[in-house]
Amino acid sequence: MIELSDLHKAFKTKTGPVAAVAGVGFTARDGAITGLLGPNGAGKTTTLRMLYTLMKPDRGSVRVDGRDAFKDAEAVRRSLGVLPDARGVYKRLTARENITYFGRLHGMDEAAIRRNTDRLVEALGMADFIDRRSEGFSQGQRTKTAIARALVHEPKNVILDEPTNGLDVMTTRGLREFLLRLKGEGRCVILSSHIMQEVGALCDHIVVIAKGRVTAQGSPDGLRAQTGEANLEDAFVKAIGSEEGLQA
Amino acid sequence: MKAFKTVWTVMLKELVEIFRDRKIIINGLLLSPLIFPVLILGIGALAETRARTQLESELKLPVIGADIAPNLVAFLATQNITAESAPADPEALIRTQEEDVILRIADDFATDWRESRAATVEILHDSSRQDSRIPVQRVERALAAYSQQAGAVRLLARGIDPSLGMAVRITHRDLATPEARRGMLLAFLPYLLILTAFIGGAYLVMDATAGERERQSLEPLLATPASRGAIMSGKIAAACVFGMVGLLLTLLSFKLSFGFVDRGPFAGVDVSLFAVAKLLVILLPMVLIGTTLLTLISASVKTLKEAQSYMAFLMLLPILPTIVLLVSPVKNQLWMFATPFLAQNQLILMVLRQEAITLQQWAVYLGAGFGLGALLWLIAARLYHREQLAISA
Repeated sequence: MIELSDLHKAFKTKTGPVAAVAGVGFTARDGAITGLLGPNGAGKTTTLRMLYTLMKPDRGSVRVDGRDAFKDAEAVRRSLGVLPDARGVYKRLTARENITYFGRLHGMDEAAIRRNTDRLVEALGMADFIDRRSEGFSQGQRTKTAIARALVHEPKNVILDEPTNGLDVMTTRGLREFLLRLKGEGRCVILSSHIMQEVGALCDHIVVIAKGRVTAQGSPDGLRAQTGEANLEDAFVKAIGSEEGLQA
Repeated sequence: MKAFKTVWTVMLKELVEIFRDRKIIINGLLLSPLIFPVLILGIGALAETRARTQLESELKLPVIGADIAPNLVAFLATQNITAESAPADPEALIRTQEEDVILRIADDFATDWRESRAATVEILHDSSRQDSRIPVQRVERALAAYSQQAGAVRLLARGIDPSLGMAVRITHRDLATPEARRGMLLAFLPYLLILTAFIGGAYLVMDATAGERERQSLEPLLATPASRGAIMSGKIAAACVFGMVGLLLTLLSFKLSFGFVDRGPFAGVDVSLFAVAKLLVILLPMVLIGTTLLTLISASVKTLKEAQSYMAFLMLLPILPTIVLLVSPVKNQLWMFATPFLAQNQLILMVLRQEAITLQQWAVYLGAGFGLGALLWLIAARLYHREQLAISA
């Protein structure tokens, strides 16, 4: 379970401080998929970066399975599997070597790394490129490698920043099934997206973010009821206040 | 224990990555070892041949007013210096570097000579030109010998012992070892060795920090539970290993090249295994200082390009002591062994000149060298903890 409360983060720029996140709070349950929906630049990535301890919030707190993300950062990172916005797969290493490297950094032994890699290769359909160097991988192959790398240590909590970005339809479908499988295993899954249909189809709890603030949150049915719109996409647009930066 | 495992894991991964890039291996590891044979065998032979031909071959010397002093011209001929006819504008010829040296015999030379006054000859040359040094010296020596000979004859003719005119007789006893005299010609070698040690691991360091950041792989890496200090140390360790391999290859080529030279200024330089081992110990702190300094720079810049822009400046650092010593030479003092670059420079020269290095000098040197490396490591580790480091976009 992941609890965020009243997160604030501002960045210094030449024209003065810009508030990227100004009051984001939600709770993500185990065995459920929580989706962060918002246009590009709404503050989703910054929120997630504070969640996986890469950034320190100016205000507010993050608790992962009851642990404070800043007092106990290492233990929190140990229980997280993170797919950042930047995939950053090592080009001169094979997909398997990329995964093994992260397994070792998580302190796993070689047998466990091999076992988990084999499982992920099967689940994500990576068999035909697992031992190829990732130079020249397609966007889908890179994303799959990065996801496998993030999940090799079987984390209880899975955080994915725009997981389907740049993927073709078939890969996206496969990935959605994979995410539902993670949910079925009782994991706490958080993903961010600017695609309304994706969030609507996958998520049990939806957090709508615009301009650094949560404008609405709840289950798909709850959101429809809150906004008084029968169509979920109309509900999103109403919650955000504009269609800009969203994708159906 | 856990930290050590992270350091080891990161180091192995960085080394695997770099050794898969063939061009970098060739440029980074093999180029510098290849420079030494070229420099030592090629340039050494060139310098020697040049010095020998300039010293021993016939020197053609344009002489203005040769007909005024036929005896002097005849004497010069016995010294293998052949007088040539006088050019119209001697100053211009020296300035345009068409002639190295021109001799002008003064118009009143014959009159002065007959009346036993000091007769004037003038040597025209450009003292800022390196390659005219030897011809000018030859002309000077020949003229001095002629002057002394004629002077002695004059004194004898007057019934005076010529040695009366010499109140003090100056003789030299050069106590420099042959190794030390060669050492003067070796002034550029420390620079090459220090440079190899200092920036040998540069590519790997910059790629592992600034490059990873640019390729956006630092963010997922720093989201793992591995500590940032250990990750950075692994990268530094990999660069040190890479730098050491380059350094070993360079020293090996250094030893082999000098082993082949049997004449010329570089013949017989001490490249025994013991001397090479000492050079390796001297350069070890330099490898650490170089990699930590570059890590520090790479962690504080935004892009790989920005990190690379520091290279030109860094390449100048090792040559600074050589320049300072050239302008104001000083005797070895203990503080020098605690000054980076200067210390390496002096110690390498001491090894090549087969001078003893005291225990105290070793202690000060290694203490200061590794101390500076540790300090830079700490600063780099602090920079590695900055929030902006992981955020690339």
